[in-house]
Amino acid sequence: MADLTVIRTRMATNLGTISGLRSAAEIPDNPTPPIGIIVLESVDYDGAMQGGLTTYNFSVTVIVGRAAEREMQRKLDAYCQPTGSQSVKLAIESDKTLSGEVYDLRVERSSGMGSITVNDQNYLAAEFTVTVLA
Amino acid sequence: MAKFVVTATNVTMGGEDISTACARAELVINAAEVETTDFGSGGFTEVIGGLKSGTLSLDFHQDFGVDAVSTLFLDTVGTVVVFTLVAGNGTAAGTDTPLYTVSCLITSFTPVSGAVGDLGTFSVSFPTTGAITYATS
Repeated sequence: MADLTVIRTRMATNLGTISGLRSAAEIPDNPTPPIGIIVLESVDYDGAMQGGLTTYNFSVTVIVGRAAEREMQRKLDAYCQPTGSQSVKLAIESDKTLSGEVYDLRVERSSGMGSITVNDQNYLAAEFTVTVLA
Repeated sequence: MAKFVVTATNVTMGGEDISTACARAELVINAAEVETTDFGSGGFTEVIGGLKSGTLSLDFHQDFGVDAVSTLFLDTVGTVVVFTLVAGNGTAAGTDTPLYTVSCLITSFTPVSGAVGDLGTFSVSFPTTGAITYATS
């Protein structure tokens, strides 16, 4: 039986391998960009008989500063690439079993860039959808 | 026994518990229709039950690990294998969780299937051979 806290932590560890990007397995009160935050969106139970498959659906919100918008957008461009040293997809999928904790995971999509407000501060952010089979 | 949502049909194949790889299980028992219509049937057809047969259909999540479902099926194509199914989300035979035991001829297996982004799965459907037994204890 996979442990949800371990799943989140190991996803954050994978994400944290991107140089210059912080990662958080729990939602921080006061995030310091650039940071990727792992959030559990939903859990689908009983994918197989006897509890044989549980599907965890995560979002990963990558927040960057807004001080220099063009530079920040380029930073997000790199995070959204499917490959490359700054690729969020590549980093999270670098260990697809999370050291044996899950069967498989996949970063399915990035929903694009947008502006978000955190603690009355505006930031640029991109959200990624991750499906984990455990 | 109350109505129930299927979450935990217990499935074994050749004694191996493969429940946690199985996403759907269906056992159908049929009887052939043998026609007995004659001039005394009053304009309607008449039939009686003939030989019985069965079909076992299962959907699986693919797993190529050692002793996982892929290996089990690959090694048994063309042979007869005993399957058991405990319905009603049970793990052992009971009045509310009947145990069905069937022998099936493994007629086909699809080891590679799926489109990009899909969960790896495969489905099988086998004819039964011999009697289908039913137990509640």
